[in-house]
Amino acid sequence: MADAVEDAGSVSEPMDLVRLLLDEVVCVKLRGDRELKGRLHAYDSHCNLVLGEVEETIYVVDDEDTEEDDLKTISRKSEMLFVRGDSVVLISPFTRS
Amino acid sequence: MNARHFSSVVQHILTSSSFFKTLIDHEVTVELKNDIQIRGVLKSVDQFLNIKLDNIQVVEELKYPHLSAVKNVFIRGSVVRYVHLPQESVDIQLLEDATRREAANQATKAKQG
Amino acid sequence: MSFFNFDQSRHNTAAPGFSQAHDPFASLANRDEEAEEIDFEDTYDGLGDQLDETDDAFNDDTFGGDTGEPGPVGKDFDFFGHTAKVANVIEEENVRFNRQQPAAKAPQPVAQPSAYTPIAGPSYNYFAQAPVRPARTGYEKYHEQPIEDLQVDAALWGVAPKKQPPPPAQPAVPSAPSGGRKMLSLEEVEAQMRAQAKAATPSPAPQHQPHQIPHEQAYLYQHQAQNQPQAHFQAGVVEPLYHQPQGHPMTILQRPHSKPPTPAQPSSQPPAIQQHQQPAVPQQPTQILQNPNRLSGDAAKIGLPVHPTPPSGPQSAHQGHRQQGSLPRQPPMILHPAQLAQLSEEEKAAYLEQEAKRAKRNHKIFQMSRDNGIMTPQDKNFITRIQLQQLVAATGNPNEHGTDESLAEDFYYQVHSQIQAGHRQHPSQPLNQFAQTYLFQTGSRQGGMRRHNRGPENHMQRMEQQVQRAVEAAKNKPKNKQLVIEGSLGKISFSNAKTPKPLLNIKRNDSASDVKKAPHPVNGRDKKDELRALELVYTTLMKMEDHERNMPMAPAEDDQEALAKVFAWSNEGQALNEQLWKALRVQDHDQPGRIHPFMALLSYSKGKKAIPRIFRHTNHEQRITIFTRIVVNLDQLDVVREAQVTTDDIQFNAAMRENIELFSAAIVTTLFTFMNELGLDLVAAILGLVCTRNVDVIAKSRIGASMLTMILSRAELIKHNGGGSEQDWRSWDMTYTQFFNILEPTLPYIFPGSIATDQDTYVWQLLAAIGIGASPDQQQRLVIAVKDRVMDTVSLAKTLPPALAADRLQNVNLFMRSIGLDVELLQ
Repeated sequence: MADAVEDAGSVSEPMDLVRLLLDEVVCVKLRGDRELKGRLHAYDSHCNLVLGEVEETIYVVDDEDTEEDDLKTISRKSEMLFVRGDSVVLISPFTRS
Repeated sequence: MNARHFSSVVQHILTSSSFFKTLIDHEVTVELKNDIQIRGVLKSVDQFLNIKLDNIQVVEELKYPHLSAVKNVFIRGSVVRYVHLPQESVDIQLLEDATRREAANQATKAKQG
Repeated sequence: MSFFNFDQSRHNTAAPGFSQAHDPFASLANRDEEAEEIDFEDTYDGLGDQLDETDDAFNDDTFGGDTGEPGPVGKDFDFFGHTAKVANVIEEENVRFNRQQPAAKAPQPVAQPSAYTPIAGPSYNYFAQAPVRPARTGYEKYHEQPIEDLQVDAALWGVAPKKQPPPPAQPAVPSAPSGGRKMLSLEEVEAQMRAQAKAATPSPAPQHQPHQIPHEQAYLYQHQAQNQPQAHFQAGVVEPLYHQPQGHPMTILQRPHSKPPTPAQPSSQPPAIQQHQQPAVPQQPTQILQNPNRLSGDAAKIGLPVHPTPPSGPQSAHQGHRQQGSLPRQPPMILHPAQLAQLSEEEKAAYLEQEAKRAKRNHKIFQMSRDNGIMTPQDKNFITRIQLQQLVAATGNPNEHGTDESLAEDFYYQVHSQIQAGHRQHPSQPLNQFAQTYLFQTGSRQGGMRRHNRGPENHMQRMEQQVQRAVEAAKNKPKNKQLVIEGSLGKISFSNAKTPKPLLNIKRNDSASDVKKAPHPVNGRDKKDELRALELVYTTLMKMEDHERNMPMAPAEDDQEALAKVFAWSNEGQALNEQLWKALRVQDHDQPGRIHPFMALLSYSKGKKAIPRIFRHTNHEQRITIFTRIVVNLDQLDVVREAQVTTDDIQFNAAMRENIELFSAAIVTTLFTFMNELGLDLVAAILGLVCTRNVDVIAKSRIGASMLTMILSRAELIKHNGGGSEQDWRSWDMTYTQFFNILEPTLPYIFPGSIATDQDTYVWQLLAAIGIGASPDQQQRLVIAVKDRVMDTVSLAKTLPPALAADRLQNVNLFMRSIGLDVELLQ
């Protein structure tokens, strides 16, 4: 019992940080210049995630004027999304800014 | 029998297909890493998250006409990027608790092992 | 020198080991090492062409040289060279010939077919009608042993009966068993050709064909065979074979039967079965090749002649041939020397080649199926059971919900399916604790966005009902109608009655100082700390839910052990409760300038969602403390502080709307339910607490207004039900008056948005709740305060479609009736 208190109370492993973000809005960076913003409903040690009310942003570099660093973004929404862990680069709390 | 041994295989709520089992016979949209999106009825999922879909329909059919004749597919788990789920068939509170339980299990295991 | 360039020393490598199955094709193993499919031409070194037959001491043995048949072996004999070139032609000719004149050329060969017919299907054409290419069969060795033995295995597999059904078209085939000449009817030939076409894939087909056709016949003839000359097959009785119609299907079919005739008949059941199975056996190549050890044993049982296993111990007579490379052919040679002798060289060559191919194939099949039958069906079942057990252990048996093991491993699925099942099929069936935990919350938590609306609606409905009940109850009480009617919206006489000073000093649980606005310190550290606390809350809650499930049975009086268990259980529960309580920080001291730690938890959605569960696992005092804490710090809540209504039609952002919905669904509902258990004294105390706060701020938020409505309407219901002591009522009245005085100036500004909005239902409910408990004087003041909104709404209603207008008027009327009026009066 006491162990559990400490388990939940202290962050001993990276994944414990993710646990704190359960049911919080998180920002997830993915491979392929993608970002997700959504509420974290589930995760596992493979970084498979389930996010709710997700907004996905895809950054597309415009080939024509690469000089200008013209970033085009595509936005999509999904009410509930399972994300396969092998695409996940990082998970961070979403801060309104 | 050898449940302990196997439990390490089926540890994770998401990969144990515990989660996906509840979505069987629901319509989902699987988005592959090559951007193809396939909508279909989820028929089965295994621990590798290989997926079987029935009655499939490719979302941007004009863009990917080569699948238009296919009625059901087996998708290797590793090529999946997302699975878009029907929100109403996910019990969020339960899912979060299941995730917490698993995290606790993992922690205990880490401690023991 | 070996025909196939074998290294003779290696020959025995394929010899059976001690417990190993006899492999009739073992001698071919070396060839298989070279390649799967060996083109004869590729491997043939031409030695055969150089053979000087006269020097071959064993030639006679091999080819039956003692017969005076035509076409003696000559120098031009070659095993392959020329014949290979014409092989295809011959084949075609055969087919054509067959078709044209099936019977014509039946002459020369052979009783041989009988020897290996079961496998020799396609080749018996050749025997019958045309020069045959030489070939090795894999069956040389089967001569001695395997074939008749195979029958036994079918019994082992218990599959034999299935094989018997004869293809209907085929009975015609053997119809003329004795008319040997006409061996093939047209249908037969066609059937064969079809079969051959199919046989393009090499291995199993040949076995198939012959038997497809004849097997039924064989079956039919089984008994006949005993009485017929065909019995000649036994042990080297070769002579009659010559007179047998050569290549006749019957010989094929009857061969197996000709062996067991005498012993089989009298013997009891098993042999009989096996006999029936005989024709079937060839149909399934694998069965042919079944473990010969078993077979021979069985054969012995039935009393069949069990032939010595030849492979590693070749008889001396054949030794020579082997050395010449004819090794594989040896057994047929022995059995049918005469027949072979009859063949022309070409025929022999073709035949031998054919045999060789077949032997190769058969060997391969044998290799593949060598271990067939090692496991009995029982063995397999056993293994399957083990596997299934493991699967069940690993994934959880869907049939045993709720076992600890499966719950631990498969929590989401198990509980989810129970909830679903509970919804769908057996609504009355008692759910297990977990399902109850989550079902309990279904109405209130954000289980999914679809529930977003349902929860608050339920809550609002209940609130509305409560207010309505209170209004109804109030209407029945005599009021100062005259005053109200006179004063209503017209000339209003102010009562100058002084509002009494609150005499009751309402206790506060802790020294909540008058923090007007608590800035929410959202520095990262605090946030992480709060999240950690919340996770601990959840961990503890889940442990408590587990703990609840494990409640021991009520012990018998004297059962010390059980008593101890119960004791330990409740101790554990107590410890968990304390842990939860500690994690919640409800009783932490409020620090000026900081939001209370417990209220901070409520700003997280998981904090809000936890409240219903926390209320299930706390005692009454703890719940009251929580309730008090929330009320005391109501104006600290983001959903109150940051959600102040204005007269502008500005919508809050999505996050805030969601926040409000969630708070309303998870917390207000829970508190509402809990409040309905409270007595008037506590209700009054709570209202008193509100008065110490920024009532205006509270009232100008939807959550705050709902809370106020909740408190006021509860008091009215208690009054209606005759609850509460004199003392309590006096205290309540004082508190109410205080509250009213504080709130009065704010009343005109508690409406959300302009008159056009239809979101103000909850405000009318609050006004109604205030109105019921108000004194006539307060009612007047109330009317004055909100008069404009009432009049505007009434006039707006006239411009609205009837349905909408009715809704709006109904809202207003809820308030009007609470003070004994009706909108009718205004129109």
